[in-house]
Amino acid sequence: MTTMTTKPGLAARLSALTKVVELGAGRLDKKLLDEATELLLQAGDRLKLSSEHTVVALAGGTGSGKSSLFNAISGLDLSPTGVRRPTTARTHACVWGFDGTGPLLDWLQIQERHRFSRASALDKGDGQLHGLILLDLPDHDSIRALADTEADRLIGMADLVVWVLDPQKYADASTHRRYVTELAGHDAVTVFALNQSDRLTTEELAELVIDLNDLLRREGVEHPSVVPTSAVTGRGIESLKSVISAAVGRRRAAIQKLEADLARLERRISESMPLGEALSAPSSVDEARRMGLADALCDAVGVPAVGDAMESVYAERSNRWVGWPYPRWFGKFRSDPLKSLRLDDVGKEVRNIATAAVSAQSAEVANAVQALADGVSVGMHRVWRSAVHKAARSNARKLPQTLTDDLAAVAPPLDRVPAWWTLLRVWQYVLVLAFVVGLAWLAVGLFMPDQVPPALELLGDSEALPWVGLMTVAVLGLGALSGVASRNFVELGAARERERLEREMRRRVAAVSTTMVVEPVEAELTRHQAFYTALRDLSG
Amino acid sequence: MFEKPAVLQQPAAPTTSPDMPETPSERPSLFVKPASLGGPGSRAAPADVPAAGEEADAASSVPVEHDPADTAVIPAVSRDAAPRVPAAPTTPRTPDDTATEARPDTHTPAPAAPEPAEPDAEAGSAAEASGRASLATGEADSAATVPEHETGPETDDTIAEVAAGAPEDVTSASADEPAGDAFAGTFGTATAEPGDSAAADDMSHRSTSDDTTAVAAADPDAEPTVGETAHPSHDEPGPTAEAETAEAAEPAPTGDTAETSEPTQETPAVEADERLKTVEDRAADSGATKSGTAEDRAAADLTTDDRIVAAGATVHQVAEGRIVDAGAAVGQVAESRVVEDSPAATHVADDRAVEDGGAAADQVADDRVAESRVTAGLSAGDGADDGVGGEELPAELVEALTSALGTLRETVAGLRFGLDLPGVEEARKGQAALLAQLDDYVLPRIKTSTAPALIVVAGSTGAGKSTLVNSLAEKNVSRTGVRRPTTGHPVLACHPDDHRWFAEGELLGGLPRLSAPGDDKHGLVIVATQKLPQGVALLDTPDIDSVVEEHHEIAHRMLDVADLWIFVTTAARYADAPAWSLLRLAKERGARLAIVLSRVPQKSSDVVLKHFVRMLTEYGLGEIDRFVVHESEVTDGRLPDAEVTELRLWLAELSVDERRRARAVRETLDGVLNSFRTRVPALAKQLEAQVAFRAELRSDVEAAFLGALAELDRASRNGSLLHGEVLARWQDFAGSGDLIRSLRVRKRGRAGRQVPERVLAFKAAVRAGLESVIIAAANQACEEVAARWRHRAELGAKLGEDLDRPSDDLVRHTTRAIASWQDHLLELVRTEGVAKRSVSKIVKFDPDSLALIFMVAMFSGGAGEGVPHRLVNALLGAESLRAIGAKALTDLRARVGMLFDEEALRYAQALDSAGIPDESAATRLYQATYNLEVAR
Repeated sequence: MTTMTTKPGLAARLSALTKVVELGAGRLDKKLLDEATELLLQAGDRLKLSSEHTVVALAGGTGSGKSSLFNAISGLDLSPTGVRRPTTARTHACVWGFDGTGPLLDWLQIQERHRFSRASALDKGDGQLHGLILLDLPDHDSIRALADTEADRLIGMADLVVWVLDPQKYADASTHRRYVTELAGHDAVTVFALNQSDRLTTEELAELVIDLNDLLRREGVEHPSVVPTSAVTGRGIESLKSVISAAVGRRRAAIQKLEADLARLERRISESMPLGEALSAPSSVDEARRMGLADALCDAVGVPAVGDAMESVYAERSNRWVGWPYPRWFGKFRSDPLKSLRLDDVGKEVRNIATAAVSAQSAEVANAVQALADGVSVGMHRVWRSAVHKAARSNARKLPQTLTDDLAAVAPPLDRVPAWWTLLRVWQYVLVLAFVVGLAWLAVGLFMPDQVPPALELLGDSEALPWVGLMTVAVLGLGALSGVASRNFVELGAARERERLEREMRRRVAAVSTTMVVEPVEAELTRHQAFYTALRDLSG
Repeated sequence: MFEKPAVLQQPAAPTTSPDMPETPSERPSLFVKPASLGGPGSRAAPADVPAAGEEADAASSVPVEHDPADTAVIPAVSRDAAPRVPAAPTTPRTPDDTATEARPDTHTPAPAAPEPAEPDAEAGSAAEASGRASLATGEADSAATVPEHETGPETDDTIAEVAAGAPEDVTSASADEPAGDAFAGTFGTATAEPGDSAAADDMSHRSTSDDTTAVAAADPDAEPTVGETAHPSHDEPGPTAEAETAEAAEPAPTGDTAETSEPTQETPAVEADERLKTVEDRAADSGATKSGTAEDRAAADLTTDDRIVAAGATVHQVAEGRIVDAGAAVGQVAESRVVEDSPAATHVADDRAVEDGGAAADQVADDRVAESRVTAGLSAGDGADDGVGGEELPAELVEALTSALGTLRETVAGLRFGLDLPGVEEARKGQAALLAQLDDYVLPRIKTSTAPALIVVAGSTGAGKSTLVNSLAEKNVSRTGVRRPTTGHPVLACHPDDHRWFAEGELLGGLPRLSAPGDDKHGLVIVATQKLPQGVALLDTPDIDSVVEEHHEIAHRMLDVADLWIFVTTAARYADAPAWSLLRLAKERGARLAIVLSRVPQKSSDVVLKHFVRMLTEYGLGEIDRFVVHESEVTDGRLPDAEVTELRLWLAELSVDERRRARAVRETLDGVLNSFRTRVPALAKQLEAQVAFRAELRSDVEAAFLGALAELDRASRNGSLLHGEVLARWQDFAGSGDLIRSLRVRKRGRAGRQVPERVLAFKAAVRAGLESVIIAAANQACEEVAARWRHRAELGAKLGEDLDRPSDDLVRHTTRAIASWQDHLLELVRTEGVAKRSVSKIVKFDPDSLALIFMVAMFSGGAGEGVPHRLVNALLGAESLRAIGAKALTDLRARVGMLFDEEALRYAQALDSAGIPDESAATRLYQATYNLEVAR
C-alpha cells in the first residue's frame, strides 16, 4: 500500500481545511464543522489506504437492477437478485486484485462474507479492471432505507459512484433531490447507467437518454456521462466496464472524489461565511484606535478632571501658604457661613476631600471597550463580530478596579507642601515684619521723636521719615506683589505637575488597556485573518 | 357518516337468549342512539361472536372485509377460500345431526324471548355477531345464537348484518359446543341498540330456530378464535361508522325444527333523523330441503349497506363471482361486500366453490354479486333495494354542515401565519390544502352527495397511471410515454352524461378547465368517453415522487378531492418510501382506497404479489381492494383489455350499485371530515405557537429592559455613579473652595452672579456619568435581547440581527433626558428646598451648587454620612432631603424608562413587521371544529 501521491493542491487544501476547522471552532456552523471534520477523517483514511484500488459503488433505487448489473460486470452470480423489493439489504463487494484491500474493505465496513474476489477469475480480459473494488449497495429509497443509512454512507465514501437508473425511476426525486443536485463538480467521479434499456425501443431509449441528460444538466452536472445498459441482454455492460476501467486505470478517482467533496464543502463554508472583504479587515488595532481607547478610559477615570482638581486644590492651598497674609487675615473677620451653621468640621472635611483617591467609572469603561470593539469589527461577519466583542470584554470585570488601583498609585498627594513654599512663606513673613517695623518707626518718628533713646536717634530723624513711610508702603506693595508672584509660581508648578500627572496616568491607562483589552482583541483579529486566509487557500 | 360523538353511544342492552348469556357489548359505532330512545322493539341479538367483545366496534360499524388473505375482492389474489362470514343461524339440533347435515354450526338457540321485544335490545347491534368464531367451532347449536332481531320500524341505526358463516371446516363435528363458548366467541354484539328496532313487527323467531345474526365486522381478534376459515367477513369498517347497516339475516334452517320462520329484520339506521327502514322479515320456509330452512332476510337498508343474509337454505353467493349454495337457500344481500359463510361442513376450497350448507349459509355478498344473484332459495328475495334510499343527505344535515363548514372555511381562510417558525411551512401548506379541499371537494360534495364519484388515480412516476386510465377509457385521454415524469396536468375522464357535472360543477371549482393540456397553464382537462360507466369518473394525476416537485402538490390536491383513491404502483416500486407515505396518508384520511399493482412480470407474479400483500397486511391495509396488471405490451398507450377487465368490472359495479358508490363516497367524505379533527387543530397549534413565540420574545425584551432599569437603580444607590470624572469634579469643586463660597452670608443687595465654571463642569460630569450608566445598561439589554432571541429560534436570530445595539438616537435622547432631569432637580431644589427658617436668615445658597451637592448626596447612597449629606441636611433639613430625593429619583426613573421604552419599541416593531398573529384565531378554529362535530 503506497501512499498516494497527491497533487500539491489536494494536500494544501486539506491542510487549509484543517486550519479552517481549527480556527472555525465555535465560529463556524456546527453542522459544517462536523462535516468538515468528517471529510478530513475520511480523506485521511482514504489517502492512507490502498491507492492501487478504486472503490466503485453501484447506487440507485430499489428495483433498478444494481445487483444484476453487479453480477453482469463481475461475471459471477455474487449478489442475489430478485423480484421482491427491496432485494439487497447488505452491501456486497467484488474485488479485482485482492492484495491489500483488506484494510480498505474494513474501512468501508463491508462484511467478510459479502466480499468476493475476482483474482482467480481474473483471466479473460479483465486485466484492465485490476484494482477495482465494486460495491453493490442497498437501495436508498425504499421504506427499509428510511431506517438504514448504509447506502448513504457508502455513496459518500466510494471513489466513483455509478448511479443505476431505470426507465421507470430515472426521474425520482429521491435520487435527484437528495444526491444528484449535490453532485455538482463531481462529474469526473459520477457515472449514470441507464439500466433495463432492453425494455425500451431504440427510439424510446434515444429520447430517454436525451431527457436524462437534460435533466442532469439542469441539476448542475455539467458533463453527465450516461451509459445505457441492460443486465439482461448484456448490452452496454462493456461500455460501462470500459468507463470504469478507465477510472480504475488512472488511479485518480479517489483524489478526484476528495477534491470534489472538498470543493463542495468549501462552497458551503463560503456561503455561510463569505470571504468578501474579510481579508481586508484589520489584523491589529491601529494606533488611532488605541489612542481613542486610552482617551476614553482616561475620561472614565476622569483624568482631566483630576488635573483640574489638582490645580484648584494647589491654588487654594497655596493661598494659605504663600499668599500675602494680610488679605487672608482680614478674610477671617468675615462671617463664616459654616460657622454660623455650626458645621465647622465640615470645612475641614471639605478640605480633606481633595485627598481622596481617583477611581474609574465602570459604565464608562464598558462603553469605551464596546466602542473599540465596534470600531475594529466593522464589516465582519456577525459571528466574528461577537467574537471580537467577547474578546474585548474578556477582562471587563477586572478592568475598572485595575485602572483604579493603578492610577491611585500615581495620583499626587494633594496636601504635599513643596520646600519653596516654605521659603516664600518665610519671605512673606519677613515682609510682614518689615512692614510692622516700618510702621513702628513712623509712629516713633512722628509722635515721640524726643523720647528716642540716643542710641536710636536715627529713629527720631525727621528727615528719614518720608523715606521710611515710602519704604513701608513699598514693603506692603512688595508683599502683595510677591503674593501674586508666588501664586503664579505655584500655578506654574501645578500646571507642570498636572502635565506630568496626566502623562503618567495616560501612560498607565494605555498600558492597562493594552494588556487587558487590545491584546485579546488582536488575538481574535489575528484568528479572523488566519481563518479567512485558510478559507482562501481552501478555495485555491 | 357523520358519526356522533362516542359519548352518545350507549351500550345496548342485550337480550339474552336462554342459552346464551349475553354479553352486552358496547358499540362503538356512532350513530347509535341511547337505549332510552330506542323504540319499543328490541332485538335480541345474541350473536355469537367470538372474541368479539373486544372489538365490537369495528365490527359493528362497518362491514369490511377483513381478511386480508381472503379478501374476496381481489379474486386473483386470493386464492384462498373466500372469506367466510360467520353468521350462523342455527337450529338447535343435536350435534350429530348438525354435523351430518353439515349445517352451519351455529345455532342459535333462539331466545325466544327477545323477540318481541325488549325494548332495549337492539337488533342492530346484534347484528354483528360474528358467527364465525363460534362457528368455527362448529357447533351448530351451541354457538351462534343469535339473533333475531326485530326491528322496529323505527330503528335508528342498527343493523346487524348477519353473516352466518359457517366455518369451513366444520366438518369436525364438535357439534355441541357449549353455548358458553359460543358466546365467548361471539362478539359482544348482543348489544341492543337503542334506536333500533322498534317494534317492528318483529320477528318471529322461533325458538328453536335461531337466527343468525350477521356480523358485520370481523375483527381481527376474532380470528384467532376462529379457525382460519372462519373469518368474519366484514365489511367495511368505515371509520366513520356509517350509518349502519343492517343486516341480519338469519335463517335458521333446522332440519328438525320445523319452522323456519325467522324473522329477520333489519333496521336500518339512518341518520338521525330519518331512518327508514324497512324491515322486512321474511321467513321463508323451505321445506324442501331436508332441513327446513327458514330464511329471513332482513333487508336492511340503510343508507349504507344492505346486506342480505341468507339463512339456512342455500345461499348463493356470488361473491365475486362465486356462488355459494348453502344448504338452504337464502339469499342475502349484504352490503357491498359479500361475506360468505358457509356453514359447517362446507369447505370452501376455492372461492368458487359452492357450498352447501345443510344449514344456513350466510353470505354476505358484495353488492355486486349480490345483486345478481340471489338464488332461488330466496323465496324471500328481498330487495336489496331497499337500502338505497339513504343516499342523499337529509336537508337539515346538509344545511347544518354547510354552515359549520362555511364558518370553518372562513376562519381558516382568515388565518395568517406571519412568523416563520419551524412548522410554519407545513401550516401554510396545510391551510392552503384545507381551503382547497373545502372549496373543491367538501362543500360541493355535501351539497350534492349524489354526484358521480371521482376516482383519483395516483401513484409513482412511471407506474402507468395514464396508461391505465387510457385503457379503461379506451381512449387516449392522457399522454403516456417513456419520459419521466410524463403527466403534468390532471386529466379527468368520465361518461358524457357526467361531463357537465364536472365541467361546470363546483367540484374542483378552483381549477380552471382546459381544453387540452397546455404547458404552462395550470388546470384540469376533462374528457368524455362512452367507455366509462356512468357515475364514476377517473382522474389521472401527476406523480407523487418525481423531481418535478410541483407535480407532487398537484397530485395531493387531486387526492384531496377524491371520493375513491386508486393507488398505482409497480412491481419495481412497491417498496418505495413515497408510495408508502401516500398509503399512510390514505389510511389517516380514512379514504376509500383500491390498489393497482402494475407492471408485474408474469413469471414473478406470485412472489411479488405475496410479498406485497404481506407488506400491506403488516401495514394494516390487507383488506383493501387490489388489482394486478401484468407487464404487457402497451400499444398506443393502452394495455391489453384482459389486464383491465377486473378493474373495469369493479368500476361497472360501482357505477351500477348506487348504494355502494354512495357509501364509498360518504366514507371518504367522512374520512376527510374526520381528518379535520387533527388538521384544523394542527393549524391552531401553529397559531398558538406563534402567539406564544411572540409573547416570549416580547417578554424577553421587557425583561432585558427591566433589568437595565434595575441596573440604573442600583447605580444610583450604591455610589458607583460617584466614580471617575464625577468624583474628580466633586473634588475640584470642593477643594477649590467653590463649595464653601457657594454658601455665603446673606447680604442685602447682592444679586446672583454668574455660575462658576467649576459648577458647570461638575454638572456636565454628573450628566456624563449618568449617561454612561444608562447607555451601558441599554447596550447590555440590547445584546441580551438579541442573544435570547437567537437562542429561541432561527426566526428570533433573524429578527434580532440588526438590533443588538441601541439605536443611534439613544445617546442624543439620553443627553436631553438627563439635562432636563437636572433642570427639574434644580427647580425642585429651588421651589421645594425652602431652607430652614433659622438657616435662611443667615445663609443664602446658590441653587445650582446646592442642586449639585444634592445629587452627590443622593447618589452617594449610604446612611447619610459625608459632607454632602450633612450640608444638605443642615441647609434644608432631613425631611426635604428625603422628599426631594424621592421625587428626583422617581423622575429620573420615569425619564429613563421612557428612553428604554423607545428602544424596546424597535423590537416590538421588528416583531410586528414579521407579522402579528391573531390571538383569538386559534380559539375560533377550535370553536369551528367543535361546531362541525356538533353538526355532524
